[in-house]
Amino acid sequence: MSQDAPKVTKSLQLVSRSTYVKEWLLQALFFMCAFAFVLAVALIFVFVGWKALPIFTDYGFWKFISGTEWSSSSKVFGILPLIAGTVLVTLGALALGTPLAVGTAVFLSDVASPRVRAFVRPAVELLAGIPSVVYGFFGIIFLRALIAQFSMTLGFGAFTAWIVLAIMIVPTIAALSEDALRSIPEGIREASYAMGATQWQTIYKVVIPAAKIGIIDAIILGMGRAIGETMAVLMVVGNAPVFPKGIFAPLATMTSQIVMDMPYAVGLHRTALFAMAAMLFVFSMLLVASVRLLSRLRD
Amino acid sequence: MVPLAGCTTNSQRTEQLSVSGSTTLLPISEQSGEAFHLKDPQVSVLVSGLGSSAGIEAVSAGTADIGTSSRDLKPEEGPLGLVDTPVAYDGIAVIVSPANGVDNLTMAQLRDIFAGKIHNWSEVGGADRRIDLVNRDEASGTREAFKKIVMKDVPFDPAAAVLPGTGQVRDVVARAPGAIGYISLGFVEPRFTDVRVKALSIDGVTPSKKSVADRTYPIGRTLHFFTKGQPQGAAKRYIEFVLSDAVQKGVVVDAGFIPIAEGGSK
Amino acid sequence: MNRTITNRIAIGVLWFAAMLTVAVLGALLLYVFVNGIRVISPAFIFTWPRGVNAEGGIWPTIVSTIYVTALAMLISTPIAVLAAVYLAEYAFQGRIVNTIRFAADSLSSVPSIVMGLFGFALFVEAMGMGLSMISAALALSLLMLPIIMRATEEAIRAVPKYMRWGAYGLGATKWQVVRRTVLPAAAPRIITGIVLAMGRAVGETAVVLYTMGQAVNLPTTPLDSGRPMTVHLYLLAVEGINLPAAFGTALLLIVMILGFNLSARWILRHYRKV
Repeated sequence: MSQDAPKVTKSLQLVSRSTYVKEWLLQALFFMCAFAFVLAVALIFVFVGWKALPIFTDYGFWKFISGTEWSSSSKVFGILPLIAGTVLVTLGALALGTPLAVGTAVFLSDVASPRVRAFVRPAVELLAGIPSVVYGFFGIIFLRALIAQFSMTLGFGAFTAWIVLAIMIVPTIAALSEDALRSIPEGIREASYAMGATQWQTIYKVVIPAAKIGIIDAIILGMGRAIGETMAVLMVVGNAPVFPKGIFAPLATMTSQIVMDMPYAVGLHRTALFAMAAMLFVFSMLLVASVRLLSRLRD
Repeated sequence: MVPLAGCTTNSQRTEQLSVSGSTTLLPISEQSGEAFHLKDPQVSVLVSGLGSSAGIEAVSAGTADIGTSSRDLKPEEGPLGLVDTPVAYDGIAVIVSPANGVDNLTMAQLRDIFAGKIHNWSEVGGADRRIDLVNRDEASGTREAFKKIVMKDVPFDPAAAVLPGTGQVRDVVARAPGAIGYISLGFVEPRFTDVRVKALSIDGVTPSKKSVADRTYPIGRTLHFFTKGQPQGAAKRYIEFVLSDAVQKGVVVDAGFIPIAEGGSK
Repeated sequence: MNRTITNRIAIGVLWFAAMLTVAVLGALLLYVFVNGIRVISPAFIFTWPRGVNAEGGIWPTIVSTIYVTALAMLISTPIAVLAAVYLAEYAFQGRIVNTIRFAADSLSSVPSIVMGLFGFALFVEAMGMGLSMISAALALSLLMLPIIMRATEEAIRAVPKYMRWGAYGLGATKWQVVRRTVLPAAAPRIITGIVLAMGRAVGETAVVLYTMGQAVNLPTTPLDSGRPMTVHLYLLAVEGINLPAAFGTALLLIVMILGFNLSARWILRHYRKV
C-alpha cells in the first residue's frame, strides 16, 4: 500500500482485490437468482390476491365460499357446488389412482428384474410427460362416448373425470413413491428375508412401513395435481355448476369453471374467478408445506 | 396458395386487422378474411373466436378492430358507441338423437324442457326416457339468442351439461338417445363425420333456409359485425368485402347461413 | 404353504398394477397414433389451417409452440442454473435457503390455471405486453424454473469433491472452480433437465391459453400473438367439428414430447461424466 512499495506487489494486490470484488459480486448475483424464486411466489400471491380482493370487500368471503348457487347472469357467485365438484373428482381419482400407482412403484423397486424395470420405468415417465390436453381429448372422444353408452347418460361427469385423472396422477405418485421405496436400505430387506419372510411379507411388513412417509408425500403431491388439473377435467365433467347429482351427471370444478367463464367474465365475476385461483394457489402451497413438514418429521 | 401468401407477407410490414368474437361467425370471418388477404395482401386478418360477449368487450376496449356477435347488443352495452353491420341471418335448430321418437315441440314445451320443468320425453309425446339437457356456455351467442327467443327470461336449468363447442353438442346429442341440444342450422349437417342428428320442428315448422329466411321458423337471429364508431380503413374495406356478393353468395351460403339481403335485417 | 400362495397372489397383483399402467400408456399412444397418422403429411405440417374447420395444416401452431418454448428456455435457464449454483456451492443451510427451497417447491406445484391467470393479469394486462410470445414465455419460464434448478442442483451435488479440491489446490477462486470444473462436469445432467423442462412447456395449455391468445398467426417478434399446438388441439376438441385434424395435432404433440424425453435420456446416457 505504501508509496514506495515494489510495483509487482502493488499490482498483485490490485488483482486480488478486484478478484475478491468480482467473486463477491458473482455470489450476490447467484443469490439474487435464487431469491427470484421467492419473489416469483410472492408476486403470484400478491397479484392474484389483489385481483381477488373485491370478493372480500364488495361481495363477502363467507357468502362466496358458502353460497350454493353459481350464476353469472344473476351475479351470484357461491362456490360451494364447485368445491363439492373438485372434492368429489379428486377423491375418486385418488381412490382409483393410488393403489395402481403405489403398486407400480413397489413393483419397480422390489419385484421387477432390471430388464423389466428398464422398460416399465420409462413408460411411467412418458405417461407423466403427456400433456393434459391430450388426456382430455382422449377422455372426451373415447372415454366419454364409451361411458355414455353403458351408463345411458351423456357420459359427462365425475366418473369419466375419475378415470382420466387417475391415469394422470399415476406417474406422479408412482415416481415419487418409487424414490421413497428405493431409499430404504437393502439391509432391511435382507434382514427380513433372513428371518424367513416371503417377498410379499417383506414388502408389506417392512418396506412399505419404512417408506410410509415418502409414499404419503407422493399421494399428497398427486392430490395437488388432481385438484389443480384443468384442461383434462374441463373437457369431461360437463361443466354444470351445481351439486353433483350422481357420478354420471354433469358437474363443474373450480378449475373448469374458471376456464368456462374467463372469456366473458368482467367486473365482480372476474374477481370471483381470481379468488378461486387464489384459493387453489394457497391450497397447493399448504400441500407443499405439509409435505415439507412430514419429511422433517421423518428425519 | 393461402399458406404461402401468409408466410411471405407476414415477414413484411403488413397491417393487421383483428376480428374477434362469435364462434358461430368464424366460418364467415375466417374464410372471408383469407380471401380478403389474397385480394389485399397488405392486410392480414387475424380471427379469434372467444364468444360474442368477448368480441363486444374486445372491440369496445380497442383490443380488436371488429367484434363479431351472434346476438344483439344488450341494453347495458348500448352506450359503448358500437356501430352495427348485420352480415347474415341464421336459424337455430333444436336437435335430438335420430332414435328419438319426438319430431315436434311447441315453444312452451321447449322452454319448459330447458328450464328443467319437463324431465321426461313421455311428457311431450315421446318414449319414457329421461331428458338429458345439453346447453352452450355463457360466452356463446347461440345461447344468448336461444335465451332471448325461446327462454324469454326463464332461467336455464343449471344442471344441464354445458359444452363450449357446436360440433361437440352435435356429437354428444347424436349418440345419446335422451339428449336435446341446440345448434346453428348451418351445422346440423356434419362435414367430417357421419354422426347424424335430427332437427325438430318448432310449432309445426321445420327449420330450413327457406323457413328461417321468411321468418316462419321462430328461432332465428341476425349475425353482426361491430366496430367502435364508423368502420375505417382496412376494417371498412373488409366489411364491404364481406357484404359483397362474392362472400354473401359464397362463404355465407356455404357455411349454412342466409345472406343478409334475403333474411333481411331486423 | 398358505403364505407362499399369498405371496404369489400379491406379487401377481403388483405385476398387474405395473402392466396396467404400461397398457394404459400403450393404449393411449396407439389410439392417438392410429387415428392421427392418417392425417399426418408434409402438407399437414407445413401449411396453414383454413376456415372454421381448420382444414389444411397446423404450421403456425407448431412455430408458435417452438417459438414460445425456446424463448421461455432462454429466460429461465440462466436464472435457474445460477440459483442452483448458489444453493449447491455458496449457500449455508438456514432460513433463507429453506425459504428458497419452499418457494421452488411451491412454484413447481402451482396449478397451471393459476399461472395462466397470473400471467394474464400481470404480463398481458398490467405490464401491457398483450397476448404475446413474451407474455406466454415469461409465464412458462416460471413453471420451468424449479425443474431446471432441481436438475442442476442434483447435477452439481453429484460432482465429486476431489475435483473441486484439485482445482482449489491449483489456486483457483470459487467462481473459477464452479465455471471450469463443476459446471462442465455437471453439464449433461443440466442439459437433460433443461430438455425435460422444455418438454413440459410444450405440453402446457392453460398457461398459454391466457397469455398467448388463440389467433392463428406466424410469430416474428416476441410481441406477436399466436396459437400454440395445445390450444389448437383444445379448440378442435371442444369445437368437435374437425376431429381428424385434432388427432393429427395430438399425435405431433406427443411425438414432439417423446422427442424431448428420448433426447434427454440419450444425452444422459452418452455424455454423463459424473
